[in-house]
Amino acid sequence: MSEMDAITEAEERGRTGLWPFWRKAYATGDPLPAFPAPASRGYRFDEGDPLPEEYKSLLLRMLRHEGERAGNKSFLGLMATCLDLAEALFPDRETKLIKAEYLAEELKHAIMFHRLAVGLERDFALRDVPYAHYSFHLPRESWADDAYFHFFVDLNGAFHSRDWRESSYVPLAKMAATVERDELGHSEMGYYFLERICSEPRGRELAQRLLAKWYAAALDMFGRSDSPNVPKFIGWGLKTIGNAEIRDLYKGYVDAKIVALGLDLPDARQNRKFL
Amino acid sequence: MSAIAEEIRQAYAAVGITLDQPAAFGTYYRLLCAGCGRMLGQVGDKLLPGMAAEIVGQQRDLYAAGLLGCSCGHQKRLGETPA
Repeated sequence: MSEMDAITEAEERGRTGLWPFWRKAYATGDPLPAFPAPASRGYRFDEGDPLPEEYKSLLLRMLRHEGERAGNKSFLGLMATCLDLAEALFPDRETKLIKAEYLAEELKHAIMFHRLAVGLERDFALRDVPYAHYSFHLPRESWADDAYFHFFVDLNGAFHSRDWRESSYVPLAKMAATVERDELGHSEMGYYFLERICSEPRGRELAQRLLAKWYAAALDMFGRSDSPNVPKFIGWGLKTIGNAEIRDLYKGYVDAKIVALGLDLPDARQNRKFL
Repeated sequence: MSAIAEEIRQAYAAVGITLDQPAAFGTYYRLLCAGCGRMLGQVGDKLLPGMAAEIVGQQRDLYAAGLLGCSCGHQKRLGETPA
């Protein structure tokens, strides 16, 4: 049995009526919006291939932002906060167990990205890279805060992973579908929590108030619309879509889900730091 | 303590919440009830300048209403006290 087979078997034993949340989300088709068809590719690099300097630099930059690496202490620290919050703020055993399944799946990603990092640059595998974007640092002071964190921030990961399916870096393209599926499931976990929170008036009131904080951060996560690096990423086949375009697709997706919760959408420019 | 962490500490002190020592490799901090010491949440130290005060300010009425804050009522009581 291979390493990944053992992980897959362990995952299957953890399945419940709810977990993994991606199962229901993909059961009726592709839950994510269609991305524009990528331009034809001139580049394709596999592990061990010599990489152009700019290409490698951009790829490492992308992976620093992604962060889910076993050797990244700051990622493990973020995971520890998730456990802390579940222990202190989650309402019952069921939701705590769901959160534990989430942790297990993120640690699976940490192994996958660790392997990718070792194949790319061994020193990078052990580099501590704290998440730079403020959305990973927003205060989480309630179950609703944590639910928004997963609904929005994990969904950002799903959208980027969708784009990586077309990546010119073959090891990343190979794992992209799994990471996308799992991250979409993590977002659905957050959404399930939000549905429960919004099912009673005080929870709904809190969720409506906290939404402005998380919505702005979620839209900011895609970076500046005029980022000068985007054409380089696209040119090397590391991305297929610009920041503004992927943000628009994401916004369309989350807006529909927020309205379905019965919440009012915030002004998309309110509290924004990166337009 | 970094400048941002100090900003966060001051912002939360105003509503009866204590910023604990860094919990996870210096990046994340627990938020503790200043009344009873219970863990109330987590915050990271990569907020943008001014953001902590802005967020806490916007949440002030949520503490007063008991929608955020400790079940011991410390933040709620502070919110009810006239400034």
